[in-house]
Amino acid sequence: MSPLLRPAAVLVAFALAASACSSIGSDEPATSTTGDRPVKAGGTLRVALAEEPDRLDPTLARTLVGRTVFSAMCEKLYDINEKLEIVPQLADGLPTISADGKTVTIKIRSGVKFADGTMLDAAAVKTSLDRHRTLTGSARASELSSVAGVDVVDPSTVAIRLKEPFAPLAAVLADRAGMIMSPAALKARGEDFASGPVCVGPFKFSSRVAQDRIELVKDPNYYDADKVKADKIVYEIIADSTTRFNNLRSGDVDVIDRPAATDVDALQADSNLRLLTSDSLGYQGITLNLANRDGVTKPPAPLTAPYAGPVASDARVRHAFELSLDREAINRVVFRGKYQPACGPISPSSPYSSDAAQKCPPHDPAQAKKLLAEAGVTTPLKVSLVVANTPDGRRLGEAIQAQAREGGFDVQLQPTEFSAALDATDAGKYQMFAIGWSGRVDPDGNIASFVTTQGSLNIAGYSNPDVDRMVAQARATNDQAQRRDLYGQIIAKVQEDLPLIYLYRTVNFTGVSAKVGGVKMYPDGIIRVTEAGFTE
Amino acid sequence: MTTVAEPVTAPASLAGPRRRALRRLLRNPLAMTGLVVVLVAVLAALLADLVAPYPAARTDFSAALQPPSGRHWFGTDELGRDQFSRVLFGLRASVTVGLAAVGLSMAVGVPLGLLAGFYRVLDPFVSRLVDTMLAFPFLILAVGLAAIRGASLVTAVVAIGVAEIPLVVRVTRGETLRLREMDYVSAAVASGASDGVLLRRHILPNAVNALIVQATVTIPAAIIGEAVLSFLGLGVRPPTPSLGVMLASAQPLFRDGPWMVVFPGLAIVLLTLAFNLLGDGLRDALDPRESHR
Amino acid sequence: MRRYLLRRLLESVVTLILVTMVVFAGVRALPGDQVRALAGEEADPAALEQLRHEYGLDQPIPVQYARYVAKAFSGDLGTSARTGLPVADTIRHALPVTLQLSAFAVVIAVLIGLTTGVLAAVRRRTAAEWAANTVALLGLSVPNFWFGLMAVLIFAIAFPVLPASGFVSVFDNPVESFRHLLMPAVVLGSGLAAVIMRQCRSAMLEALGADYVRTARAKGLGGAQVVLGHALRNSLIVVTTIVGLQLGVLISGAVVTEQIFVLPGFGKLTIDAVFTRDYPLIQGVVLVTATAYIGLNLLVDLLYSVIDPRVRVGGAVAQ
Repeated sequence: MSPLLRPAAVLVAFALAASACSSIGSDEPATSTTGDRPVKAGGTLRVALAEEPDRLDPTLARTLVGRTVFSAMCEKLYDINEKLEIVPQLADGLPTISADGKTVTIKIRSGVKFADGTMLDAAAVKTSLDRHRTLTGSARASELSSVAGVDVVDPSTVAIRLKEPFAPLAAVLADRAGMIMSPAALKARGEDFASGPVCVGPFKFSSRVAQDRIELVKDPNYYDADKVKADKIVYEIIADSTTRFNNLRSGDVDVIDRPAATDVDALQADSNLRLLTSDSLGYQGITLNLANRDGVTKPPAPLTAPYAGPVASDARVRHAFELSLDREAINRVVFRGKYQPACGPISPSSPYSSDAAQKCPPHDPAQAKKLLAEAGVTTPLKVSLVVANTPDGRRLGEAIQAQAREGGFDVQLQPTEFSAALDATDAGKYQMFAIGWSGRVDPDGNIASFVTTQGSLNIAGYSNPDVDRMVAQARATNDQAQRRDLYGQIIAKVQEDLPLIYLYRTVNFTGVSAKVGGVKMYPDGIIRVTEAGFTE
Repeated sequence: MTTVAEPVTAPASLAGPRRRALRRLLRNPLAMTGLVVVLVAVLAALLADLVAPYPAARTDFSAALQPPSGRHWFGTDELGRDQFSRVLFGLRASVTVGLAAVGLSMAVGVPLGLLAGFYRVLDPFVSRLVDTMLAFPFLILAVGLAAIRGASLVTAVVAIGVAEIPLVVRVTRGETLRLREMDYVSAAVASGASDGVLLRRHILPNAVNALIVQATVTIPAAIIGEAVLSFLGLGVRPPTPSLGVMLASAQPLFRDGPWMVVFPGLAIVLLTLAFNLLGDGLRDALDPRESHR
Repeated sequence: MRRYLLRRLLESVVTLILVTMVVFAGVRALPGDQVRALAGEEADPAALEQLRHEYGLDQPIPVQYARYVAKAFSGDLGTSARTGLPVADTIRHALPVTLQLSAFAVVIAVLIGLTTGVLAAVRRRTAAEWAANTVALLGLSVPNFWFGLMAVLIFAIAFPVLPASGFVSVFDNPVESFRHLLMPAVVLGSGLAAVIMRQCRSAMLEALGADYVRTARAKGLGGAQVVLGHALRNSLIVVTTIVGLQLGVLISGAVVTEQIFVLPGFGKLTIDAVFTRDYPLIQGVVLVTATAYIGLNLLVDLLYSVIDPRVRVGGAVAQ
């Protein structure tokens, strides 16, 4: 982010904070940043993460929590701001797109050094983008699948050639696909880059002990080093939310990722602690198996026993199920009212949100029973629901079970360990699955893979040519208004066919000690500590 | 052949000591307390449907997170379910897991132990099997089973039961080795009794004492094992509660509803305490030499 | 003796091979492989196939096993599928945590178990015996994790005298290490303390009733001398045996304790590895656990055979 943008960003943060605060229905002022507080130089900031990040290699990394660590040590061509707008980070200005939409030209910020002291230039950008596209097992390859090639125009300019126009590209380059790695380090370490990643960032990798900690130290080579206050960032992995919270209270850590919804009140009440909140880009809901008989990405086919049934074959039954669910009540009893009911895949804070995208069916168990009668099924209709085998997952399942009973469903819960659940549902061995998505800045990332016929995450086996067509159309245009309109139409279609029932949207929470300032969190849920430090 | 005396037939020799053991047990107030608590718990578990004021799964969102009251003795949970009823049903699951797991380990372990102790040829194989099982980290087995079969009562029983098999094999094998050398067994061998008869009539009945003692140690361990599995997210399937599942799911809500942690926790402690007291009493009664009571 | 030693060694190797084979095949039979688990929500089927091929997961399991064994023999345990860090390093970092925790727990358990056990045996039918028995019963009846949670609530939250979590090595900072490990070690050692107390009590009672103690008393030796000099020495042997036998239980208990107190130890490593289907890590962990367990058992057996040669014939250590 350019230094000029920052004061504005802070103002926006306050505005957002006010809205975020009202939206979670709390009296205490909640914010998305502690940027208002002057901080002094020096000190070690300890950040407790909820999970262990996977490989610290931008090409291979797949976890959300890994993005938090990257944000402190691997900058990207673009970043997002509080308003979810794309802003340049390592790029010098927004990309210019050719008239046919197939060539995207990016200027590189000058005078930028990697943590190993080598210079960032267009060749380095090309090396990284090519690695993202082609390395075996790259998690970025599908995000960059529309890219035909990368050309070095001059030492500070690259041109990305596209197979077809692809509007989400800038958003993709604002995530891990836009992270640029030091070519020297890549050459030295090769596929073992994860054990000593070298990028451009306020901090650089120092050490990692599996399942315990990742340590970063201030990088003197960073182009904006004056802004960086802390000497060292230590990410500690503390999986249990209660323990994480206890550590923050006892002062053993300074920042905690994702305090449990049940701990939020206590966190707000404690004068030594502060709560940062932001809307989430993702959603949580239920995916219904319509025609995934042979596995994800295989052509849809009628289900067989024991997964076949009226839920898969009759949209009225699916609507009945949705009508019997009370989103407000689920949020209230399962998440203590800390999250937000959701009916679609696009966050209300996204510039692509519209009334059509946020349209919500009512809670109406009587209508649900009527629909079931129309569909000619005998009630109670037995359906099975796979839920994550965690306290929250089971609680959600039990709430759904209780509500669906009112609508004429007998829900059999299948609490399943997460890896096993992913495996079974990929293979089409399920009826319903309570699962969500962490969310992407561009709505394409929340929609395309899930509802297009060939989508890599379309475990519902959903196929609607209209949806496929509109998703492709929305990708091909850079006109925001047109895209907004298309996504509204897509969501309406999806709500009609109902391969997914969107239920709620989490709120990103971060707990921060009152001694700490400069921590920021945007709707992507990443804890940004670039300018964080201890208050004076 | 049959007229040749079986000098000391096992059943006859057992009747006396067993009766004496029972008398000793009945005179032990701690053991009796344990027995009463166990019986009450088993009855409550069996009759949960009749005794419980509410069905275990009945939710009432308007009555969520209520502290203990006359209406809800143990309060309600976050879904408004009556905790007293759930503790009763949870007792059922926990007692079932405890008994079934021990039953499973006995059903597999006792024959193996008898064979290993009685037939020298088989001993190395059984012993290798037992060593392998003991060297196999139990939790990997539990997590694996839960991943394959999904979380359920049966999974918990199998995971805990299998983990207990090696101990049962060892105890049985040790007893068999010891009893084989006893005079009355040698006499039975001399009188031409078949192996089956030897095992059934002479060795097994005399090994029972050790097995009973082993069972009373194992049942409470299995009940706690179920709680541990639930803590790691591998417990029984909702909405049926077990005490372990109740504890595990209440843990994040501790501040909002401490009663949700207290009552199932107390129920586990009481239940295992009772089994342990009863087990101690049984051990003392069956084997007074050990205890010097 | 040498033949016995050889036989036991051979048996141990067979057991080790069996365990690693069962685990190797077993984890591959679980639904969801390491690649799928690693991908989490970002599962692009094409990339997953590439990764499976890269890791050799598309090969028959016996081939994979043979490769693994060949590499393991040269000391290469592979790299963790999730973090990309070497398995050997990961284990080397985790092992000291669990070892220090377990050692501390054993010390605490022996201290508590011995004192209460001796007390209960010497002061029979007094309040002291009753109290000691109660403590032992509670140690056996209170679930570990419940005890741990209560301890954190009381000593880290309500009265913040001890840290809620984390690990400091005793070699880096003994004082801080003590503070960090005290609660976990007490929680972990409580069950063992109960077992030791009971065994110690009955061994003491037996010893106090034995001829040589009676003789000592008849010779006019005082109560304390008899208790400490003769009976206790006898019961120490029993305690040593128990600690040896319970070590496996202790390591399993460490899993839960490490989970509650967020100690980056071996137990937590094991559970996480299974949940994330991190095959190389699971295999490494099992190899270490099984080797340790089998080695320990071998040691105990050999000790017994030295103490009591009859064991070599019977082979059974009555429990």
